[in-house]
Amino acid sequence: MELLRPSSVEELDGGVFLHGGTEVVPLLREGLLRAETLVDVRGLVPRGVREGVIGAGTTLGELEVEPAIPAALREACRLAASPQLRNMSSLGGNLLQATRCWYWRLGYPCRLHGGDRCHARDGEHREHAILANGFCASAHPSDVAAALAALGARLRTTRRQLGVEELYRLPDEGDRRTTTLEPGELILEVELPPVEASAYLKAMDRKRWSFPQVGVAAARLADGSTRLALAGVAPIPWRLDGIEALEAATPLPRTEWKVPLARALVRRALAELG
Amino acid sequence: MARLIRTEKEVEGRFEEVWLVVEEDPLEQWPAGPLAVVGRPAPRKDAAERVRGQARYTADVRLPGMLHAAVLRSPYAHARVRRIDLAPALALPGVRGALGPGEAHELEEEAGFQGAPVAAVAADTFAQARAALDAIDVEWEELEAVLDPEEAVRRALFTGEPRRHERGDVDRALAEADVVVEATYRTQTVLHNSLETHQATCEWVGDTLHVYISTQFIWGVREEIAEALALPQDKVRVVCEFMGGGFGSKNSPDEYTFVAAELAKRTGRPVRCALTRREEHTSAGNRNSTIQRLRVGARSDGTIVALEGEFTNSVGWSGWNSSTEGPMRMLYACDNVRTVTYGARLNTPPMKAFRAPGFVEGTFGLECLVDELAAKLDLDPLELRRLNYAHSNEGTPFSSKNLEECYRLAESHWERRHALRARSDATWKRGVGMASQIWYGGGGPPSYAWARVGSDGRATIVTAMQDIGTGTRTAMAQIAAEELRLPLDRVEVSLGDSARGPYATLSAGSSTTPSMGPAVRAAAADAREQIEDLAEQRGLPRDAPVEEVVDLLEDAQIVGKGARGPNPTGMSVLTFGVHVVEVAVDVETGEVRVERVAAIHDVGRIVNPLGASSQVEGGIIQGVGHTLSEQRLLDPETGGILTTSLDAYRMPTIADVPEIVCEFVDRPDEHLTNLGAKGLGEPPIIPVAAAIANAIRDATGAEVRELPISREEMLRALREAEERAREREKRGAPAAV
Repeated sequence: MELLRPSSVEELDGGVFLHGGTEVVPLLREGLLRAETLVDVRGLVPRGVREGVIGAGTTLGELEVEPAIPAALREACRLAASPQLRNMSSLGGNLLQATRCWYWRLGYPCRLHGGDRCHARDGEHREHAILANGFCASAHPSDVAAALAALGARLRTTRRQLGVEELYRLPDEGDRRTTTLEPGELILEVELPPVEASAYLKAMDRKRWSFPQVGVAAARLADGSTRLALAGVAPIPWRLDGIEALEAATPLPRTEWKVPLARALVRRALAELG
Repeated sequence: MARLIRTEKEVEGRFEEVWLVVEEDPLEQWPAGPLAVVGRPAPRKDAAERVRGQARYTADVRLPGMLHAAVLRSPYAHARVRRIDLAPALALPGVRGALGPGEAHELEEEAGFQGAPVAAVAADTFAQARAALDAIDVEWEELEAVLDPEEAVRRALFTGEPRRHERGDVDRALAEADVVVEATYRTQTVLHNSLETHQATCEWVGDTLHVYISTQFIWGVREEIAEALALPQDKVRVVCEFMGGGFGSKNSPDEYTFVAAELAKRTGRPVRCALTRREEHTSAGNRNSTIQRLRVGARSDGTIVALEGEFTNSVGWSGWNSSTEGPMRMLYACDNVRTVTYGARLNTPPMKAFRAPGFVEGTFGLECLVDELAAKLDLDPLELRRLNYAHSNEGTPFSSKNLEECYRLAESHWERRHALRARSDATWKRGVGMASQIWYGGGGPPSYAWARVGSDGRATIVTAMQDIGTGTRTAMAQIAAEELRLPLDRVEVSLGDSARGPYATLSAGSSTTPSMGPAVRAAAADAREQIEDLAEQRGLPRDAPVEEVVDLLEDAQIVGKGARGPNPTGMSVLTFGVHVVEVAVDVETGEVRVERVAAIHDVGRIVNPLGASSQVEGGIIQGVGHTLSEQRLLDPETGGILTTSLDAYRMPTIADVPEIVCEFVDRPDEHLTNLGAKGLGEPPIIPVAAAIANAIRDATGAEVRELPISREEMLRALREAEERAREREKRGAPAAV
């Protein structure tokens, strides 16, 4: 395996991108990701915050104490992972995390791996999805992605501009991917519209260092609209039109508990917006 | 004088009759309470070495030319190796040796669980060894896997005969009881997850095998390896100077040691075999899950008249049927008790002893049941426990029991419940719960120590025991310092090497301090007596300072030896305690916060109050994980282990640790030994789960009968409690109109 350190975006030519390594390295170690070439992109991706634009290379550790960003994003960073991981992991990388579904992580031949069944549906699934879970019941783990979705963030990549929700797609029979990022495409910046108020609430199995059982981001934008997005409830970060949309949840036998939990957190997050 | 005796030996609640040579224990008990050194807080003697990274753990051992071994494990819950070809692995770069089924102890053709060891490879690097495993060509024959413990009981698939106990007439007592409370409790499988994974490094030096191993029992490893390799025991040297935790899972050598020894023999090189964190989750033992169907009958005044329990331990492919029924048989005075305990043999990873095996699980069931009885009778849970106090163990007197004093010390914590409940609001409900603790922990012979005093007035205690991280080194130094009348910084302890010092106990079953402490005291007393004789010959007072007496000895040394005396005959040696826990429950999100734990323990004399409170804190933290967040999960279809990492298997973080208040009765057990100390490794984890569950019931009225009390369990119990309340209202409504 070779490691490249290109000095400009123009030099990019394939390979697996590596920033903080908190996700890519474990995936490589477990054989879930294979790479001939690793490309260290730390020199290419902007880092830091200026006037509503956040470099995708900014670490979660930097963002959790950044006064210039909305509360929901700051809180989502603060409640993610552990201090050690937050000091390494980048904003852009966090958006591209794979699910924590144990069947997927252990390499079971599930639908997300191209197989023909979702092992979690018939198996052990206490942590799994309650929405859009018909094909694959995995739950998306990113607190930060939910926060950005609620905040109406837009991304600039090496190839295009897109809303953060457009980064994600539900896997289906014909295409098992959960993001729309093309090979060789790199997220560079995150742009946030003006926000009046926002909040992020997270339920975990313990107080810290845990992926969300349910994470709820709520934001009231300058245009007066209120937006909700949830982590840990669907295979991708999930925009929720309102609390009543949870009526449409399709929990599995052992994820029913997530529905009242999501409802309680949505109510609280909306209340926090004032 | 040496005396040959036939005695009952207890380890982790299992008893066996053994022959022992014991020496008398003629020393008088020290007075109760803090002495010059014993009973006073002492920081660990090896603290600086540990925090500087100088302490050499087994994981730090790197020998010249050392190879790394990796173990091939079964991907199936039950399968047989039909054919195996190691040649493709041996052909890979760096690979120096490989073993198939039958070529090392515990590598077997029949794999009884996912993760069972079947083959192994040694290579120059661990990465090469791991890669070589993939090259081994195996043809598997899949066999039927039994994963459900209730099915195993129905089909009588047991690890041994079901264990039955009965005293009195339970059926009649239940028929005559004023109230009967019945409930089923379930506990989950949890993992030890020691910081240092299971591992050994083996090296042949001439015809002697040197084994560096992370172990709780140097002498047990020596014996088991000698037997497996057909070696004389003194041709096996076992070293464990520092140890990164075991919690009961490192009492024997296991496959990684046998693999390292055999590959070292075949390659002529030292071989290290260390389990990965994933293997630690699949193949290193666990606290087995249980199902407990319990019944208690009582008179309306609260007197318990009958206890009945059917316990199923999901033992796994191998392991033993631990005493889940123990607390029910011993904690309360009750004439009529009937228990049956099934050890279900399943195609799941084998149980291993885990900090009070059986009693942690059984106390959860029993102490929740007792609180449910208190609720039904509208009695104070503390009063109910006092009312049913056991003054003997089924007629056998206790060597010492101060549970009453624990209850008295618990009162001030228990009293806080009124003010605490009043702080509840619409979302956060607060409550207090308690649970009692009973366990063994008396230790026993044999165990020996030597004491060596030089002309500089410094002493070294030499014994081939291990300090498994509990601070034993410091406690032993304190005991020796007290007896020799030396300051603590003039006493060293040499341990951790079977080639240096006499036989010492295993460190399990809360037995290290009660087994070793008296031997160390006896050795120090032997030296002390010689020093006093010298003083007399020199015309000095017998209690002259040691350095004054020995200063002319030059290279001559005073050498003392000591042995652990026998346990008292006709007495039950047990430890006791009570925990009072305060919780807050968010009734909308099911979040449970354990806010405060007051732990009061009666374990005889306290040697080092600082070390003792560390043990209590550690036990409580591990108990909080067991109660709220930890569970090993299996795929119900294949028996595959799903929680194989520290992010999927959730141990508490420092943020989850409650305020902990430790109190000790600190009264020496006059009957037990010259030290009067019992063990404290296990007691503090025992009552945690029940006390938390009882506090949750107090706060919310929800019946939590299943561990872990995760959010889903909490939300389920809250919903059920709401429905019960609605039913009651409905039934009550007409009467009120």
